[in-house]
Amino acid sequence: MKRKLISVLTAAAIAVSLTACGSGSTANTNTTAAAGNTQTTAGETAGASEAPAGTTTIEVWSEDRHDMEYVEEMVDKYNQENTDGIYINLTIIAEDYKNMLALAYNGGTAPDVVGAGANNLPLNIFADTGILFPLNDYIAADETFQKVNEPYEHAYEGNNTRNGNIYFIYSGMRSGVRVIYNKDLLAQSGYTEIPTRLADYISMAKDITEKGAGQYYGIGFTSSSPFERLLEMGSQVSGIYYYDYINGKYDFSGYKEIVEVGQQLITEDIAYPDQQAVDNMRALFAEGEFALWSNASQEAGVFTNQIPITSFDWGVATVPSLTGEIKGALQTTPSKGYGIVSTSEHKDLAWKVIQYFQSEEFVKGYLENGYCLPISTYMDGIIDKTKIGRMADFELLEYESVYPMPPVINLSGDDYRIVLWNAVMGYVSVDEAIEDLNTRYNEALEADIASGSAKRLVISDYDPLHPSSGTITYLDN
Amino acid sequence: MGMKQNKKRVHFTKDSAATALMLTPSVLFLAVCSIYPFIWIFRYVCYDYNGFMATYTGTRNFMRMMNDKAFWGSVIHTFEYALYKLVFIIPLALVIAVLLNAKMRGSNVLRGIYFMPTIISTSISGMIFSFIFATKNGILNGVLMSLNLIQSPVKWLTGMDWVMVAVTIMAVWGGFGNYMLYFTTGINSIAEDVYESAKIDGANTTQTFFRITLPMLSPVLKVVLMLAITGAFKDYEAIMVLSKGGPGNRSMVMFLYIYNLIFGTPNSTTQAQIGYGALLSVMAAFIVGIVTAIYMFVSRKLDDVV
Repeated sequence: MKRKLISVLTAAAIAVSLTACGSGSTANTNTTAAAGNTQTTAGETAGASEAPAGTTTIEVWSEDRHDMEYVEEMVDKYNQENTDGIYINLTIIAEDYKNMLALAYNGGTAPDVVGAGANNLPLNIFADTGILFPLNDYIAADETFQKVNEPYEHAYEGNNTRNGNIYFIYSGMRSGVRVIYNKDLLAQSGYTEIPTRLADYISMAKDITEKGAGQYYGIGFTSSSPFERLLEMGSQVSGIYYYDYINGKYDFSGYKEIVEVGQQLITEDIAYPDQQAVDNMRALFAEGEFALWSNASQEAGVFTNQIPITSFDWGVATVPSLTGEIKGALQTTPSKGYGIVSTSEHKDLAWKVIQYFQSEEFVKGYLENGYCLPISTYMDGIIDKTKIGRMADFELLEYESVYPMPPVINLSGDDYRIVLWNAVMGYVSVDEAIEDLNTRYNEALEADIASGSAKRLVISDYDPLHPSSGTITYLDN
Repeated sequence: MGMKQNKKRVHFTKDSAATALMLTPSVLFLAVCSIYPFIWIFRYVCYDYNGFMATYTGTRNFMRMMNDKAFWGSVIHTFEYALYKLVFIIPLALVIAVLLNAKMRGSNVLRGIYFMPTIISTSISGMIFSFIFATKNGILNGVLMSLNLIQSPVKWLTGMDWVMVAVTIMAVWGGFGNYMLYFTTGINSIAEDVYESAKIDGANTTQTFFRITLPMLSPVLKVVLMLAITGAFKDYEAIMVLSKGGPGNRSMVMFLYIYNLIFGTPNSTTQAQIGYGALLSVMAAFIVGIVTAIYMFVSRKLDDVV
């Protein structure tokens, strides 16, 4: 009898714990058995309080968790003080943002306002299918908004604008890639500044590795998109881009020289021998295992709060180009935009919420907390730069801009960053890699244009130093 | 005289009603969670589907599959990986099961320890192994160098020569406890008197193993081998975390390639291609099915021989 009781209790305990686990995770039909990408996505809601009676709830979704503290504080303030009867309910979806949004839209539970930026809402999906609502009329009627956010200057084709329809306006940005270096290790080898020519930069790295004699190396790379973080940006400022805007096709032949220069990093054993995840490499940099690192303005926050660097002085410099001259713009990543979903029943109130999120008061506090860089010159002029910590080192350069988004295609095989990095690592020859990329990308582009799922982007007056100022045309053939 | 034809009539007895009722939840579950999603994805085989918009492309996906060098390369790597894994994991599991069968103190504890890797999530163990296999500060390189077995650090995960070795080590570590358990159960079912009579006849350990244990284990061995083969073909999570299919696609297996197509890779400039991925996964399932069929055929022949 006792054994039976014990076995019944055990079974009950197991059943209870299973249901407890089950209720903690939201089922996601897009994620099947795979590991790694399927962390259970529980939406975190800010503020446990219920909406007071008589107010309209505006659902806001955001992907960013790093600025949660400030945003939640401002949302609470708004909920208590606003006179329009609005209650903002903020949900932070840190994983699988696009899929969750599409799921909600198809299920009829889409939010009113969606946070956008850093390419998390590709327009070919969200604008062309009508999920996002164009904001042109609202922007045109609001002079203060125009002053603070400069929407017309930062309307980037394919990123937040399509055919003249503006879907969201950015209120912040991540800088372009910079070189982040360990001043002490450089000084030990007799260097005080970063060269502007790529070949000199690599020789400096080689010199530091030789002096390091296995204790430390000159430069380190991560396994997560390593080509993007140094060599691709070096190509951009040398005027090389992977899409030929004038002729409307993909052209990777410009990368030959820079890949050949980059190959030295591997053949001559200059780089740190492991290429691990980004956080691992940041930790190794903070330990002084290598002297040169390259990434964008998010490193300001990382090296101050997340993986603080205490044992040496670190500096920030511009990324070197092939010849030392700047011939093309450097890609930046604008962020912190807010769009309205077309199924929202309170579009006017949703716009008021966006006006609040992109008001001078909100944005000033946000930028002064050092979460990102200002995008509009107005905000850049009025924030107190002494409060933003190391973010001030990543200040916008005059040649930083946003490239218009080339057509999104259905590609077979690896994408160009992987193939070009394989060429740098020596797994495939440069010429083969470039030819393979040209063939595959253009084949996919032609097939997609023929089937109608993409359009050819042509900018006949394209200028590499001002990529977003040309006349944009979309061709059907 | 006409013979009465033996009519086969289905009798709905109380038993069959109860059986049908008990089977209904599982059948329902199977239909909703396996068959329906399969049909849902399979309908996109002739389309380009990125999760939001579907464009009809006719037979273009089939043409792409025929010309997709990366996919067929990954199929070859899958066969290679499965071969390496099986060659090591089955003998190892068998030998350890036999060794631990000797009733000595601590054999249960050892069995528990060897079984532990199976319960650890593959992605977590993948992360830990990436530290073990790291070139500069890696644990394995450190141990090998301090034992003077190697002169300079081995590039486990960044060199094309060694990545398959690293992946195989991790696969064998993670899986052999599972198969060891199957073999232990199989060995336990062999009657003791067979061993006793063998001992009386003067058989030593090796002879006992090859003449008694192995033949009597053959039904279990057949099943375990089939599970191991299909498991090895479908394995991709460990490789995904350890080397992401690299370096230079050296360790790309077919299901990892399909996963990247359907879920998209981070930092990629192209979109998810669910239609093409669906076609490839049907092809991959077909390949695994053929391998299993060949195995069943061969094992049936072996049954006749042994």
